[in-house]
Order: sequence, then structure tokens, then C-alpha cells
Amino acid sequence: MSFYTIDSLTFSFAKECKLFQNISIEIEENQHIGLIGPNGCGKTTLVKLMLGILKAKEGAIYLEGKNINDISLSKVGKTVGYVFQNPDKQLFCPTVWEQMNFSYKFGGNADQGGINDKIHYYLEVFDLMKYRDSSPLELSRGEKQRLALASVLARDVKFLILDEPTTGLDILRKKQLEKCLMTLKEEGKGYMIISHEGKFLTSFVDKLLTLGPKGVESN
Amino acid sequence: MKKFDPRTRIIIVFLISSAALMIRQLAPLLSLLLLTLILCKLFSIPLLGSIKKLKKLWYFFFVLALVQSIFTSGGETLVSIGSFRLLTTLGLQSGISIITRMSIIIYSALIIASAPPLEIVYGLIAMKLPYEIAFMVLLAMKFLPLIKEEFSDSIIAVQLAGADLDKIPMKRKLSLYTYILTPSVIKALHRARYISLSMECRGFRAYPSRTNYCKLKMKRADYMAMLATAVCLLIITV
Repeated sequence: MSFYTIDSLTFSFAKECKLFQNISIEIEENQHIGLIGPNGCGKTTLVKLMLGILKAKEGAIYLEGKNINDISLSKVGKTVGYVFQNPDKQLFCPTVWEQMNFSYKFGGNADQGGINDKIHYYLEVFDLMKYRDSSPLELSRGEKQRLALASVLARDVKFLILDEPTTGLDILRKKQLEKCLMTLKEEGKGYMIISHEGKFLTSFVDKLLTLGPKGVESN
Repeated sequence: MKKFDPRTRIIIVFLISSAALMIRQLAPLLSLLLLTLILCKLFSIPLLGSIKKLKKLWYFFFVLALVQSIFTSGGETLVSIGSFRLLTTLGLQSGISIITRMSIIIYSALIIASAPPLEIVYGLIAMKLPYEIAFMVLLAMKFLPLIKEEFSDSIIAVQLAGADLDKIPMKRKLSLYTYILTPSVIKALHRARYISLSMECRGFRAYPSRTNYCKLKMKRADYMAMLATAVCLLIITV
């Protein structure tokens, strides 16, 4: 059984115009996937379907063998970490520290000692420690992107979906992200990255998928 | 469908909603609802679709009508528990009146809401409303769905961060909602600031008056629609 199974998925926002048709993909838990495609081809929509934010009308998506429509968003969130394309949509806590701690506080995880170390580590990695008591809304675009990444990486999830994670990152932070991706690879964790940066993707993924109106092509 | 002047829509909605607030008897209110539905059809508003979209609001109105029915005494008793009169004819009439009145107001508001927002602004300016206030109306109309969108995005983010909203105890849930609500409002205010900045960058309020590319002109159909509505309202109220 694959971690993710996308079976004959077709999706459209309007009845007349199908965004993509008949997509079938199998993703393993420790696989590293890259997803590319032109603007507006439905990359983020596909991810939203994979997370259960949007519901598929034709075809089905299975997460660990269960239909995604039958799993609550919070349960999906405990298994799959998602970095939004727009970090503003992901940051909702009053302080940076609380944003990092949110999943542990409301997600039902114990052992606060170990958690604090983990949060410290990721805040240091993404150079956000000095903002720990600041509001995420006061950060710059790049800093928000780093916080969104750090808050997802700090969580113990099986699989990660990163929607254009390099947007707004400078060279140094991009290198740090690359380091984190290497660590994830070493830990045997899988991820899927949506990006327009072909060079970045080819270095960090095992399989590159191209999304188009007729479906997905594997490169 | 004939394209009506935005002023026609505004005047018709003003007439209908004022009448809905003034009429007290049930029979004229029901006639007014019928007139509103006919006008909605005339302005090509999908009635069934809007009922589905406002599903939660109808539930609220239904509860409101139920409470009103129970707490209005008078008339013959329809349902009673012992000596307590639970539902009377007057209470039932009052409950139906509330639902009817709210339906009239909502459907008449859809006549304006279904028009392109900028047209309504032009209509308000043509009715001698200062253009600053007319644009404020436009922004307010645009902002309600934006705040809703911000809030639902935050709810999705919260759930994807692992919080199960159905299982969290009420006290924690309330603190969670304050977590979400505050940044949603701040984000909406940020957007408002950017919109006002971009409007000012394009010369908004640089001069006391503002010229418009679109010139509005009332046609015969507009006068006919307004006159027909006024006549029907007269017949209903008298």
C-alpha cells in the first residue's frame, strides 16, 4: 500500500473547463517528489486536494489506504506537514514562539522539554530566535517564509508538502533549507516540493512530475 | 435580460426594504415577498442557488421566528403544556412575519449585491452622494468576503497544524478562536491600508470632484420598473 494514492483524479472549478484530468500517482512514504508546471495549471489545487482542503468530484485520493474525504483535516495535518504558498495564510499566532509551539499545544503532544529543544533548534537554523516574542505579522516576507518552514519542520510528521518553499529566501537561507531537506532525506522522511526552480528540484528529488491539463507526466 | 441603471436597483431596494419594515400585517408582507421574488427574477438572480448559499442564515431566522412565536402571547392557543400556552395564533403569525420580513430584506439586498460593485458606486455618485462615501460603500462590500476568507484560511491552517476543533474543550476552543480572530482582523486592516495607499497613488481625493469613464443614463425601462414597483407597493400597503 502506497502512502498516497491518487486514482483517476479529475478536477474543475467551473463545469465547462477542467483544470486537470485523469491523474493517477502513487507516492511512497519516503519518496522525494518534485512537482512543476506552468502558472495556473493546478499545482496548488492538486496539493489542496491531497490534503482534503478541496474535495474531488471525480476520482479519489487515498492517504495510507484511507479516502482523504473520510479523514479530518487535523488528522491529515498530524501525518502530513504543509507549507503554504503564501506564508501569511499559515501564521496566525500572537508570537513566533507560540506559532512554533502551536501544534504541540493544541495537537495533543506531550514532553514539553524535548519540544522546546526542537523549537530552539529550528529557530536557530532559520535565524528567527531574535524574533521569538515578536508577532509573525511584523516579520518581512522572507522571514515569514522561514517561520512557516520552521514551524512545519519542527513537527513530527511522516511526509511534507512544500509549496514553493524557496520564494523570498536569500542564498544563505536557501542553503539552510537545502540542509534541512538533506536531514529529512537522511531521516527517511518523504516530501513533495512544488517549485519553479528546476535546478533546486533536480538536486533534492528522486522523481519530477510535470502537471499539465492532460494530467501528470513523470520525468 | 434588460440592463437596468444601478440607480433603479438602489431605489427599488430602498422602496421594498422600507415597506418591509413598515408593514405590520402578515398578508401584505407575503404579497411584498412575492413582489420581491418577481423582481429578483427580473434582475436574473438565481433564487434556489441563493437559498442554498444562505442556508445557515435561514436556520438562524427559523430559530428567531420560533423564539418570537413562543414568547408572543395572544389569540387562540394552538399548543400548550399544562396551563402554559406554548404557541398561540398570534405567536405563529408573529414568527411567520419575522421570516417573511427577513426574506424580503435579504432578497431585495441581492438585487444590489448581484450588480457589479463599481456600477453601484457610479449609481450612488449620480445620486449626489460624495464619491469618497460611495467608494467606502464599495470597499465595505468587498471587505466582508475578504474577512470571511481570511478567517476560513486561518481555520484550515489551525486544523492542518493538528488541532481538532471538534475535540478541543470549549474553554480552549474559545482561546483558539481569539488566536485566529485577532490576526484575521489585523490582516484585513493591513489590506485596507494597502488598498487606501494604492487608491491615493492613483489620485483618489486629489481633487474635490472625480470624473467617470462610465456615464449613466436612465432609460424608459428603468422608469417603468420603478413606477411598477411603486404602484405595486401602493396596492399592497393600502
